[in-house]
Amino acid sequence: MSTRRFILVAITALLAIVLSACGQAAPAATPTTAQPTVALPTATAPTVPTEAQSPTEEAGATSGIETDPLKVTGDIVTAGSSTVYPLAERIAERFQDEGYSGTITIDSIGSGAGFERFCVTGETDVANASRAIKSSELESCRAIGREPIELRVGTDALAVVVSKENDFITSATTEELAAIFSDAAVKWSDVNPAWPDEAILRFIPGTDSGTFDYFVEHVFAKDKTPHLNAANTQLSEDDNVLVQGVMGSKYAVGYFGYAYYLENADRLNVLAIDGVTPSEATVADNTYPLSRPLYLYTDAGILAAKPQVASYLDFFLAHVNEEIQAVGYFPAPDEVLTEARATLAEAVR
Amino acid sequence: MGAIKSWVSRARGIAVPTVMMNERRDSALHRRPRVRESLIEAFLLLCGVLSILTTLGIVYELGHESLRFFTSEQWEATNKELAADVDAATQTILVTNTGSELHPGDNLRVGSEELMVLTVVGDTVTVERGVQGTAPSAHVSGASLERSERVTLGEFLGTTEWNPQIGKFGIWALVNATLMTSLIALLVALPVGLAVAIYLSEYATPRARQVLKPVLEVLAGVPTVVYGYFALTLMTPLLRWIFGADTVKIYNTASAGLVIGILIIPLVSSMSEDALTAVPRSLREAAYALGATKLETAVKVVLPAALSGIAAAFILAASRAIGETMIVAIAAGAGAAFTFNPFEPAETMTGHIVRISGGDLSYDSMDYNSLFAIGLVLFLMTLGLNIISQRIVRRFREAYE
Repeated sequence: MSTRRFILVAITALLAIVLSACGQAAPAATPTTAQPTVALPTATAPTVPTEAQSPTEEAGATSGIETDPLKVTGDIVTAGSSTVYPLAERIAERFQDEGYSGTITIDSIGSGAGFERFCVTGETDVANASRAIKSSELESCRAIGREPIELRVGTDALAVVVSKENDFITSATTEELAAIFSDAAVKWSDVNPAWPDEAILRFIPGTDSGTFDYFVEHVFAKDKTPHLNAANTQLSEDDNVLVQGVMGSKYAVGYFGYAYYLENADRLNVLAIDGVTPSEATVADNTYPLSRPLYLYTDAGILAAKPQVASYLDFFLAHVNEEIQAVGYFPAPDEVLTEARATLAEAVR
Repeated sequence: MGAIKSWVSRARGIAVPTVMMNERRDSALHRRPRVRESLIEAFLLLCGVLSILTTLGIVYELGHESLRFFTSEQWEATNKELAADVDAATQTILVTNTGSELHPGDNLRVGSEELMVLTVVGDTVTVERGVQGTAPSAHVSGASLERSERVTLGEFLGTTEWNPQIGKFGIWALVNATLMTSLIALLVALPVGLAVAIYLSEYATPRARQVLKPVLEVLAGVPTVVYGYFALTLMTPLLRWIFGADTVKIYNTASAGLVIGILIIPLVSSMSEDALTAVPRSLREAAYALGATKLETAVKVVLPAALSGIAAAFILAASRAIGETMIVAIAAGAGAAFTFNPFEPAETMTGHIVRISGGDLSYDSMDYNSLFAIGLVLFLMTLGLNIISQRIVRRFREAYE
């Protein structure tokens, strides 16, 4: 009998040791792994009390658009820009959290492909775009009986940054920018003889990012070869890697979303492009060259046939400024949003 | 509970201490079908088979996908469009000035027709129509041009620039970085690890051992992501302080390599220590009897006797260093570069796989397939090292007793 008792005691003791070891190991490991993770932009998410929105919601209600997500049913199909995607996803999530019971599809396929599906095949209700519609796309839309309604929801801008230690460059022209980031120059002095005879250390977003695409499109006329071919280029989808890299040397230069620069403004200098320093004002009036408006496109016929689309868009415009900074973009001026809501209400009527 | 009870009852009253003896005696006494035993046996076999099948699955997947990399034709957007309508016969086409440059010999695709570029003068391109068995047809202005990208084994193994997005596939840029970090890591880990092992097995008092061994095990248990940030935020600034911030770049292979070295010290030391302690005591006593000092005994008698085990430890450490991912992804750099300067950034094979697969990769794209080709190279490298280590163990094993 004593043997049995001894073995039971031994097993219990063993279990106790193993379990306590596990218990200790788990919390000890968690904080260390969590430590290095990058501060997410969500940390700055503005928390606006929902009550503040009630007047605008009432304003919407008079226009015949259902503004209570609880009463909205039916599916919504949207597709387009990968830049608009995180914003649209956030708003759609909130729309569903507040009671919308249908299914909302958001495909991130690029602005061009988004217009293709909206204007040519006509299978989507909303086209998300990070540029205005082209005249050829407008024509194909009209050919299938759709008259696009343009709703501006915000602005995305890029910041070109250098280290705080950098004392030789504060602004660049678009041509100089192209040279700095291309294989045409290895040293700063290759771009401008007044700049030091040191290698340019480049830190750029990864090739899958919309930021990279936009930069290539805008600065390199859509040809990524010279950009990717440049020596001393580090690419990362993680903006923090770029910030670390640019901070690391006086001769480093990089670019990423302006919102991310703002978070690191005390550690980096931003360059003026063509003499314009990026700021909320210069981005809002489109004088800063590396900024682009973000749009949603829809059509009056769709709004009439699918009232849920009108409700979604109205919800989008009413709440976009509460979410947009968390995504990393610039809010559109309030007048623009109010105007867009009026346009929407007009179209529904 | 029932299981424990029966186990306890069987264990009770048997004097032979080991389980093996216990089983043998048990079966000799009662020859009866033992369901539980055969279930356990089947389960153990299943575990073995499962790991073999997993390995085979990985090999198949790697081979299959990397074959696509070398065989399938990829169409990459040039971001160029036709600037004017083209009928089915004309050899001269006008393209927009956006997008990447065209070169004579490029294979293009417009719609379903394939064209071969003959000459390029500004935006005017002369082409051979309907190549690769496609039929020439008319195209409207605005149709987009795609370019064929195809990788040859010669380019893969014979060039040193890696940039899949612009059609450069020289694996050496990545292999070189992997070898650099691994070599630096081994330069740190082998001497230190071996010294620790010799100390633990030959010199350490039981109390020192009691403290040192758990500490080493903790070192082995730290998540590699922590080591990565250790490299970036402590090792790199240290190197920059010693060699100057202009010499040492913020991301560099030296820092990553040194920290991988620290990571694999416990691996080297514990495996080498096992090999050293396995050397029979009689050898040491014989050496002492001949008048050898402690150091002479350790270095000239015990170490050679344990050589096969130590060599195996070194090679396993090397394959661990080659496969290490998180540290290099964080600290070594994020752009493939062919450089022998340890203070310059470079990207290892594992680091590249992590970075590229972090974005949105579309299936069967060039980037996607290239990852499997890199994976295959990596797999072959570690497999080769493991085979060598097995050979060494077999060849140089000193059997005593």
